[in-house]
Amino acid sequence: MTWTPLTLVLIGVICLLGVGFYGLLISRNLIKIIVALQILGKAALIAFVMAGNVNGQTGQGQALAMTIIVADTIVAVVGLALAVQVRRRFGTMDIKALSNLKG
Amino acid sequence: MTSSVLVALTIGLPWLGALCISFGVRDRSERAQHALAILFAVTSGLAALALLPTAANATILRIPVGGVFGDFTFNPDGLGVFLASVATVVGSLAVIFSVDYMRGEKQLGRYYALVLLFIGAMAGLALTGSILLLFIFWEITALCSYALISFYNDDPKAVAGGIKALIMTQIGGVGLLVGALIVYAYLGGYDISLLIEKANTLPPGVLNVLAFGFLIAAAAKSAQFPFQTWLPDAMEAPTPVSALIHAATMVNAGVYLLARFYPAFAPVPGWTMAVMIVGMLSALLTAIMALVATDLKRVLAYSTVSQLGYMVYAVGAGSILASQFHLLSHAVFKALLFLGAGAVIHAIGTRDLRKMGGLGRQMPLIRTTFIIGALALVGIPILNGFWSKEMVLEAGLSGGPAWIWIVMLIGAGLTALYTFRVVWMVFFGAPRGDDNHGATHAHDATHAMRFALVVLAVGALTTWLLIGPFSGLIASSFGAVAAGQPHELSLTEMIAEVVTAPATGIALIVIALAIGAAWWRRDKLTALGNRLGWLSRMATDSFGFEWINRTIVRGTQAIAGGLRVTQTGALNWNILGIVGGLIVVLAILAMGVAR
Repeated sequence: MTWTPLTLVLIGVICLLGVGFYGLLISRNLIKIIVALQILGKAALIAFVMAGNVNGQTGQGQALAMTIIVADTIVAVVGLALAVQVRRRFGTMDIKALSNLKG
Repeated sequence: MTSSVLVALTIGLPWLGALCISFGVRDRSERAQHALAILFAVTSGLAALALLPTAANATILRIPVGGVFGDFTFNPDGLGVFLASVATVVGSLAVIFSVDYMRGEKQLGRYYALVLLFIGAMAGLALTGSILLLFIFWEITALCSYALISFYNDDPKAVAGGIKALIMTQIGGVGLLVGALIVYAYLGGYDISLLIEKANTLPPGVLNVLAFGFLIAAAAKSAQFPFQTWLPDAMEAPTPVSALIHAATMVNAGVYLLARFYPAFAPVPGWTMAVMIVGMLSALLTAIMALVATDLKRVLAYSTVSQLGYMVYAVGAGSILASQFHLLSHAVFKALLFLGAGAVIHAIGTRDLRKMGGLGRQMPLIRTTFIIGALALVGIPILNGFWSKEMVLEAGLSGGPAWIWIVMLIGAGLTALYTFRVVWMVFFGAPRGDDNHGATHAHDATHAMRFALVVLAVGALTTWLLIGPFSGLIASSFGAVAAGQPHELSLTEMIAEVVTAPATGIALIVIALAIGAAWWRRDKLTALGNRLGWLSRMATDSFGFEWINRTIVRGTQAIAGGLRVTQTGALNWNILGIVGGLIVVLAILAMGVAR
């Protein structure tokens, strides 16, 4: 196994994905969950840039990266707004308090 | 090019009308809603009729829509234009009838919008040449049917009936979608003509799946055995809707589907036999149910399933011409019967046959037209139902086994019996109504109702005269594909063929015997249900099929209840589920790459 830049980037992406999923699975604080989602989004962003580089279509990768940045920002904004509302309504950030959909 | 314009008008005008009524007029002016609905329905009917002359040498119209779905194709050939004309013309008459029937009803805009949406979708279903579009139109008609059955949405029975119809026709829709995808996978296109041409190049197993899948689709849509239970429950719909959707058009889509694909599926072993048996069981079982039902519209619904059984039987016996001719006759006389029943129900405010009786004197026009429709349903000579039913029976005798033919003959006798019972219980005998809605308040039909009834009654008397051009139309749709299939038949040829056929004489004797028996015991007909004992009890419970339906529903609910524990409502667990799913997908992909 040779340590080309490509492999390094790939390892970084996988690590970021792992961190993101770990955060999503473990944390019960709403803010932490939103942070974990952001980390997942960034992992995808880096993967797209890398894929564009591998394909020789750097421009396409960059364009998709810009799109992901915009979409991710919206996710963060809406998520944080919801978190504020949850805090006001339930007085807690614990997602256990939000399990109204329990069957 | 004119034909493409006319196709667009036939499908587009009702949809445009639906948009105008639901967004333009809303519920501001009832008069404007009636007027707009009639305008758009009638112009669409005229456009469909204008397609008839060019249908014999129709060319397939293609609309390129990019690469993903193939081209959208429309094929205004004889079979399709015929069904589109039935849909739009009967649709126009039902809309005209609605002016009186739905007067002063709340949410009239929703009603007319859905009816017009349905008319357009039905015309599209008939005219399209692509299986994918066929599926889409098929589902739009099912959706409209559901929404219109549940039109009185504060009535739990109407809502339940609508959902039942939706679920049962959905089963058929899945069969059609699977068929479309299989055709695409194997032949690389969605065209109906492609499937019919290349059906013999498909592997036999695949063709079997297609043929029986389409049979299930057709049976679910046409309320044939074993799906016959949704149609009677659909009778909660406003009566013009029952006449249009559940008698004259949508339920015919299944028969149309079988007829359309007959050349492709006829060589499949056992398929024609299965089709004949489905038709036979539907015709016989529902005829018995019609004999003991006490709800005027339910009797007509059972009778519709029974007559559709005759059409399916004719397709199975190999005579598409007979099945489509009976479809035409049935659309006319059953729409007439339903609209007549609607006029009766509108006048006295109940659907219970046991509360009617002796209404003939107060409503002579309704009585006359209803009896014309009833005689056509029974198959009395000169009316259109006689010629088409005899053609079906004749085709069955020459194309199918004799025992099925004898069962169908018994069905014809039962038809005469229950039809006589309905006519007698509604219009003759002593008035049985109580003071609130009895015969005392009954009145004859008003203008718009009269118009629709008279047009359909004249149709029931005369449509059989059109056999010459009609058989030409049907023959042109099948000309090149299946030799020995529908051929052109002139009026005199048909008369000679029907009159000399041995089937006709036997059928007429059976019918005459049934009517004689009914006349002899005419005062006992009301209590017929009690007299038949166990048979009656089985028939009112739909021969156990209602029990099967209930069991399936209960089972589904139990499974759903059991699965509730998987819905923890906790976000972490849901994410774990998503990640787990992702890992499974990745593993499958990895295995695929490795291989």
